[in-house]
Order: sequence, then structure tokens, then C-alpha cells
Amino acid sequence: MIQINQLQKSFNDKKVLNGIDLEVAPGTVLGLLGKNGSGKSTLIKCALGLLRSTGGTATILGDDAWHLSAATKARLGYVPQEVVSYPWMRVRQVIAYTAAFYPTWNHALVDQLCRQWQLPLEDRVGPLSVGQLQTLGIVLALGHEPDLLILDEPVASLDPSARRHFLQTLIEIIDQPNRTVLFSTHITSDLERVATQLAILREGQISFHGELDELKERVKRLHINSRQELPQSFAVPGALHCEVEGAAATVSVANFNEQLVDQMRTTWNADIAVHDLSLEDIFIELHE
Amino acid sequence: MDPKPIPFEIHPSSGMPIYRQLIDQVHALIAGEKLSEGDLLPSVRRVAQAASINPMTVSKAYSRLEAEGIVARVRGQGMRVLKPVPAGTREQRQQQFRQLAKQALHRALQLGLTDAEIQEVLNTLLDQVSAVGNDGHPGTTAPPPTNS
Repeated sequence: MIQINQLQKSFNDKKVLNGIDLEVAPGTVLGLLGKNGSGKSTLIKCALGLLRSTGGTATILGDDAWHLSAATKARLGYVPQEVVSYPWMRVRQVIAYTAAFYPTWNHALVDQLCRQWQLPLEDRVGPLSVGQLQTLGIVLALGHEPDLLILDEPVASLDPSARRHFLQTLIEIIDQPNRTVLFSTHITSDLERVATQLAILREGQISFHGELDELKERVKRLHINSRQELPQSFAVPGALHCEVEGAAATVSVANFNEQLVDQMRTTWNADIAVHDLSLEDIFIELHE
Repeated sequence: MDPKPIPFEIHPSSGMPIYRQLIDQVHALIAGEKLSEGDLLPSVRRVAQAASINPMTVSKAYSRLEAEGIVARVRGQGMRVLKPVPAGTREQRQQQFRQLAKQALHRALQLGLTDAEIQEVLNTLLDQVSAVGNDGHPGTTAPPPTNS
């Protein structure tokens, strides 16, 4: 669905994307994580042809991102970080206006979503709250039931209940085969619920891309209590962080397996407790 | 009318992957006789909607349970619980116990016990536990040894 190779993007002399490789297969729900300013929006915009990349290639549904055909665009849904609409139109009119572009518009679905999210159909778009505007953006992106849905922090302005509605809708969408979703977010708990894959963007490059479950099974925190003082040479292969104090140590590892721990128990004559980490914890372990 | 609530309690932000939580909970429900032979697991869609999680994650858990021989896929009906094996296959139960025993043995060595002493303690314990009889729940996991 998406194929990105060595993608580069600079603004003047500031390099934002520095050789991104990313492939998204049909049926994937990919969560994109990264600190503020790590280039998530830039990556999404380059992949959609909304920004021209300065190097490498981005292909979407077989089309070059900068030259998307009308047929490809009809299969795409996109919710930008800041939804821009027509302030003078009523919500109902914006929906009708957008629907007119798509022969496959699902009116029943859109009606249902508007009710679910209590969108004020007769209100003008201008005075809508940021959250309502974002909700409208989501409805507009879903109306034509796109094969590929790209969302740039879709829930940043939504309250917890609206966010849950959004997740429920997303779950209904991905329940149909070969629907592909790419979304960036800061809300790791949402990502944990719906993403099958995760990509972490760091300093203009993808620092991790893989299954979320795999990441959770690999990154663990170990609490080590030895019978004697741990030596200066104490080290754990593949450690992300290591804090040693006397006979105790706390180590986070990125390559957890039982053998490693058994080996450590013997080597350091220690009790070792293994702690699972939430995605938020993992994200911080990988970034600090 | 609300559909029947699902018997699972999912914590997406626990470090344990969601599919593993589902597998563990099905094991526990069977061990606790909340699920018996012939019962149907709630549908993938139902679990996904009720717990707000990705249906693919539920499918993954159900497929693993099928591979373990805990449930069988019945066309047009869903996942049916097979004749209960308290906490997984014999091999899995052994593995589960091995994990617990390993930690305990390690502590025993730290305490400076000899192999013979360890054997003695184990035998005594085994006698005591067996004497109490079989009124304990077969599938309930023993609490892990305290780390204090």
C-alpha cells in the first residue's frame, strides 16, 4: 500500500527526514510514534504528495506520491493534524459538498457517525470547537470508505469519550479485510489497542518498525539483586539502561529472553525479577 | 438490549501483549470452570468491539488457543472449548511449574542449602500438599515465591 525508500526532506538547510525506509502491507494498522518535531507530519505529507520530498521515493497504491492519479486519490482518506474546512458552510453542507466528489459515498455510514459523535449538522463550521472540527475531518475522510486511511494525530483534540468512539469506528473499519491504516499519535494507549505494527521515528529515521507484540516481548526491565556487590565490570548485553548500586541493579533490555536471564542469575548469583513495560515506558526507554 | 458481556478484562497498557492476556484469561476461565467443554468463546468481533481492541489481535489469540488444542474452530459458530485440560497441555503445565521452581531453587542456593537439603524440603512439602487432598483448584497458579 505504501512503499517509501530512502526518503529525504529538508526545509532550507534543516534536514527533517534523513533516509526513511518504510513499507506498509495491505491490512496493516500501523501506528507512527515519535517525539514532537521528529518529522511525523512531514513524513505523512511527503507520502501523500502534499509536500515534495528532496530525495528518495514514496509510492502509494502504486502511484508516485507527487503524481497521484484521481483513481488513487479516491481510495485514500486523510485527516490532517489541523482540519481546514469552509467556515461559512453548515456542517451538513460541507458533508454534502465532499460527498459529491465521491461516487462511492456511504451516506448511511456518515449519518450514523454524525449521530454517534453528535455533530451539529445545522451549525456553521467556523465556530466549531477544535474537537468538533477534528471529528468532522474524520467523518469526511471515512465517507467514501477508503482502502488506505492516513490520520495525523486524529484524536489529539478529542475528549476521552469521543476518542473511544473514534477507536470503535476504527475497529469497525479494520474489521473488513485489506483495510490499511496509518496513524500518528502521542496517545500510546490508543495505539496499543488498535495498532498491529509500530514505527518509531527518531532524528529523521525509522528507529524501530515491527510488530507491537514483538516489541513488548523484547523490551523488559530487570531488577537484579545479587548476594554480593556487583563488580565494576557489571554489564548486560543489549542493555538500554543500566543502573547499579551496590548489590542491586536495574537494567532495561531490548532483547529479552529467558536464557539471558537464566545466564545472568548464574553469572551474578542474583535474584532477577522481570517487569513488563507499557508502550509509553518502552518509548521513553528507547528515547532517554 | 445489550449483548452478553465478554468474560475478558483487557489492559492495553500492561506490558503483556493483548493476545497473551486473552490466552491467559481463557486458560484461567477453563481452569476455574467458568468455561466448560462445548462452550463458545465470544466472537472475535464482539470481543474487539467490547474491549476496543483490534480484531486481528483477538484472532491471533484464538488461533494460538486453537493450535494449543484448547478450542476448536467450528464452521459458522466460532470457537468451541474442547474437553478441558486444566492449564494447558502437560508440557505447558510442566513449563509453568519449571519457571516457578527455578526461582525457588535459585533462592535455596543463595541461602546456602545443599542439594540434599533442597530435596528434603521439597519432599516434605510434597507430602504435606498431597495430604491436604485434591480439594484445591487444579488450574489455579500458585503464588510466585516472594522476592523479599
